[in-house]
Amino acid sequence: MSRVITITSGKGGVGKTTTTANLGTALAIQGAKVAVVDADIGLRNLDVVMGLENRIVYDLVDVVEGRCRLRQALIKDKHFPDLCLLPAAQTRDKDAVSPDDMIALANQLRAEFDYVIFDSPAGIEAGFRNAIAGADEVLIVTTPEVSAVRDADRIIGLVEAFEKGHPRLILNRLKPRMVNRGEMMSVEDVLQILAIDLIGVVPDDEMIVTATNRGEVAVLDRGSLAGRAFNDIARRMKGEQVPFMVLEEQQGMLDRFFGMFGRRPRSSER
Amino acid sequence: MGFINSLFGGKRERSSDVARERLLTVLVHDRVKLTPDLLEQLKAELSAVIAKYVPAVEPGEIEVSLLRGESNDHIKADIPLRRTT
Repeated sequence: MSRVITITSGKGGVGKTTTTANLGTALAIQGAKVAVVDADIGLRNLDVVMGLENRIVYDLVDVVEGRCRLRQALIKDKHFPDLCLLPAAQTRDKDAVSPDDMIALANQLRAEFDYVIFDSPAGIEAGFRNAIAGADEVLIVTTPEVSAVRDADRIIGLVEAFEKGHPRLILNRLKPRMVNRGEMMSVEDVLQILAIDLIGVVPDDEMIVTATNRGEVAVLDRGSLAGRAFNDIARRMKGEQVPFMVLEEQQGMLDRFFGMFGRRPRSSER
Repeated sequence: MGFINSLFGGKRERSSDVARERLLTVLVHDRVKLTPDLLEQLKAELSAVIAKYVPAVEPGEIEVSLLRGESNDHIKADIPLRRTT
């Protein structure tokens, strides 16, 4: 049974596109056939995050408007032939497609892939509505900041109003040391406020920036803590029981350990 | 006061707690969608209903606020009565 999943957030800049790229890649590593769809029409980005920007010929709007077949628009990933990207149009706007178009597209993709992941635009308007139209389930990305959590609360209400079931939460860019000092809301704080199920916590990780600089994804890097967190989330999406990383203690111990040598762990030392 | 407190070793509230409290309050208002206009209307109608049974109500003194509770949020109405001798 194929599943169509939309990644959304309300607020922009909390990591939807990075999450989509990493979860898509993680599911492909684990052997699934995956399509990731950039539903942010006019502000295309999933292609650069995955390092596939030079291979685009056709886009989502071309498929919807019948200028090409779906297969012609799908771009194969650099590492995994079973992972494909359907890029957004860059020169059109969100009004170029309707929710019905997106439902039809989702169903077409469902026939070919095990997982279809839509990367939603920020906001609560047409683009967001298009992005969730074809979804069986929704994952909400937020960061432990007041603005992001407030917007997540609004989005959760809308997702439920559109009868997409109960969305699950990805808490992104948690800084365990700040949480320990009481300077950042904890996982428990955010869950108390939003009252939804958690599917994963992703620690803040500079390797996300360096991987994205190169058009790579963190899940391919064994040294990346965020990459490991995304791999765990992908397994939970498949229904596996994966214990949550104990970020706060782990970070504290690592800090103390590396503190003895006066340095922090680096990717080259893995 | 905060400064003086911190001078004398008084503990400053953790910013994560401040964030959580502010969010919880703001979300009660977001979720209820009670605009200032509607709130005024609610007060007026509330005082009219109560005045039918209890004449000593000052419509201008009614206070309506949204409160966060443990398992439920509340609308709290504070309706002072004039003292009659």
